[in-house]
Amino acid sequence: MAKISARQLFFFLACVAPVGKIILMPSALVQAANNDLLFPAAANFLLQAGVIFLVMLLSRSNQTFYQLLANTFGKIAAKIISVALTLFLLYCALLPILEQKLFVQSIFYDTLPSLIAFAPFFIFSAYLCAKQLSSLGRVWDIIAPISIVGFFGIIVLAVGNADFGALMPVGAGGGKGFLSGTAYTMLWFYDSLLVLMLMGRFEYKKGMAWKAAVFYLVGAAAVLFFLAVFYGIFSDIAIRQIFAFAKISRYFSAITVLGRIDYIFIYALGLVMAFYCAMPMQAAAECLSDAFGGGTLRSALYSVGINAVMLTITIALDYSFGSVRDTVGYRLFWLFPAVCVGLPLLALCLRRKKYEQIR
Amino acid sequence: MNKFGKFAKTIPMKLYILLALVIVFAFFSNDFGLVDIQKTAIILAAGIDRTENGFAVTAQISIPKGTDRSSCGTSSVEILGEGDTVSACIAQIYSKTGWVPKLVFCDLIVIGEETAKQDVFGCLDFFLRNEYMPDSCLLAVCEGKASDTLTMSSAIDDTSSLAIGKLFSDAAGKSGKVVKSTLKEFSIGYFGKAKSGHIPFVRSTNQTGGCTSNSSGPEGGPSSGAGENEKKIFSAEETAVFSEGKMVALLSRAETFAYNLLKGNVFSGVFSAEDNGDPVSLTVLKDEGGVSLDMKGAPKAVLSVNLRVRLYNSGVPAPVENMAESNPSPETVESAKRIIDGYVDALWKKCAESGCDLFQLSKSLYRSSPQKYEEWKDTLLSAIQPEIKTEIRIVK
Repeated sequence: MAKISARQLFFFLACVAPVGKIILMPSALVQAANNDLLFPAAANFLLQAGVIFLVMLLSRSNQTFYQLLANTFGKIAAKIISVALTLFLLYCALLPILEQKLFVQSIFYDTLPSLIAFAPFFIFSAYLCAKQLSSLGRVWDIIAPISIVGFFGIIVLAVGNADFGALMPVGAGGGKGFLSGTAYTMLWFYDSLLVLMLMGRFEYKKGMAWKAAVFYLVGAAAVLFFLAVFYGIFSDIAIRQIFAFAKISRYFSAITVLGRIDYIFIYALGLVMAFYCAMPMQAAAECLSDAFGGGTLRSALYSVGINAVMLTITIALDYSFGSVRDTVGYRLFWLFPAVCVGLPLLALCLRRKKYEQIR
Repeated sequence: MNKFGKFAKTIPMKLYILLALVIVFAFFSNDFGLVDIQKTAIILAAGIDRTENGFAVTAQISIPKGTDRSSCGTSSVEILGEGDTVSACIAQIYSKTGWVPKLVFCDLIVIGEETAKQDVFGCLDFFLRNEYMPDSCLLAVCEGKASDTLTMSSAIDDTSSLAIGKLFSDAAGKSGKVVKSTLKEFSIGYFGKAKSGHIPFVRSTNQTGGCTSNSSGPEGGPSSGAGENEKKIFSAEETAVFSEGKMVALLSRAETFAYNLLKGNVFSGVFSAEDNGDPVSLTVLKDEGGVSLDMKGAPKAVLSVNLRVRLYNSGVPAPVENMAESNPSPETVESAKRIIDGYVDALWKKCAESGCDLFQLSKSLYRSSPQKYEEWKDTLLSAIQPEIKTEIRIVK
């Protein structure tokens, strides 16, 4: 089985993981922290970078998370934990899928399309989920440059219209704004869990731990700059501006003459988002494969099952996005730090082979 | 055989990938959502008036012109919808015509004069909420009713909204004669600390002193002369200013020009001055305007206009040597300075009296000191003393 290379993993952390945070998160941050939106986002990124650093240290054993669980608790307990983790990964995927659906329906269509318009996403996702996580390395090689071009294209078109003075006065949101902004946007920060699931699928090399954290922070810096531009453009109506990345570039002066050339970059980022959005489901399928055995047929079954469940949930919750967001993002926000931070920290206590022994 | 077997095994996967790519492409590009022009109302502009029962929305809908090559421009039809909200009006237009209204190409919202005197966000709320409507669309307040303005026959374009839209070109903005405002800009002002904004005011006059060729007339017949179908010329040199969403004053042409100078927007704009009692025109080559708030001691607003101008035109015959040197006298500069000072002063007084924080001074104060903003937010505009600094330099 080909493993993910260090370069590919860094591409994921710097170029793919950040794009999931630029659809609805900017307006959610404004709702909680107003013009101080950068600080809660920075806090979440730093927390994730720290946890990713620890997970990378843990990955020196080159064992998968399931193997570590089995080593420590035995196979039955490992299977139970894997099933629970599968459910949580699907829970993580729920809101990003719904926001991706809303984004496509609002930005790529000029009137509200039928619900079924989003169904092809699950065909795409089913294909991805039938593949092993290690196959993502090649995908990241391809989509990371697309992500860079898309992101910089949008920023270049938008930055000229931004009034960065709108970010003043610093601290106006107060401590409450900072805490609620940090808490209520945690649902977009599950990257450490994804890296935990990638453990054993890449070969650990010396220095990868801090490099992974640094690459993640490079992506975080890009998102923070994006947030500053976003708020600079919309200032007092930023709270209303959902699907931020598809809107900030349309005020570029040449667009009135050339048409919506920014759509090229929006499509590019939309494509990258589709991969990122499907990743928790892919990780969930891999979790089941680890616990109950893989192979082509079983992987396909897990994939079809997971995607059928998610498609059904998506259809059932078509008119309940607000309620889902309130439940997942506000009432149960603590689940994300509990699992995405707590679980990797607990994983440090799992029994593993020593790095020196492997070498 | 062995090779064929290997190839055959990979076919389903390749087909699957191909199918997935095609579907994903279709999904993202919305190619299946082709616009059926016969069933769709492409709304170019919306005119909004308040009625006793709510609102009346006039949608200017683009219609296909067919293959008649003798005609040019864009044909349109205006449909009126009434209801207690703007969306109810749009829904009535749908039910009247059977056309699905599409707002994605709506680039202009015209608000009637009387409607603008109440909080206009009752009208604009629908458009700001609508995800399928660009918030970069232009706003205009018109003399009289918006429905009348949109149904007027323009001498410039077959479609009145396109004729009005031409008034807000970048070139027109740089001339300093027009201040354009988009839905986004106006909304930021409305929801911001200043709660103020501006929208250009459109007037129409009858076309005089010219004739119109048949080719530019509306489809279906040559353009007529005087009478019901009289062609109109639109202008937007005045500006309606708003406080808390209500139109509170109308800036004159001179005040609009002063506002543009203070915003530093003017390039190649022309204004008149006097040279020893004779009229001359000066063109602005560089405009560095600005408004700053000084809260040390009593609140003070410094309105600065720093211009580099050139003599553009003399209203009286001048010797050819004068034309070659293009060197205006010091009196001309003094006269220009006096005139600009007068424009800026009039602009400030009108804003202060009407309670419109046009220069967003409350926002500036909040950004620099939230504490002082809290202290002054209710009295700032009336307490501020203006200090006008005008500097004009001649470029030979």
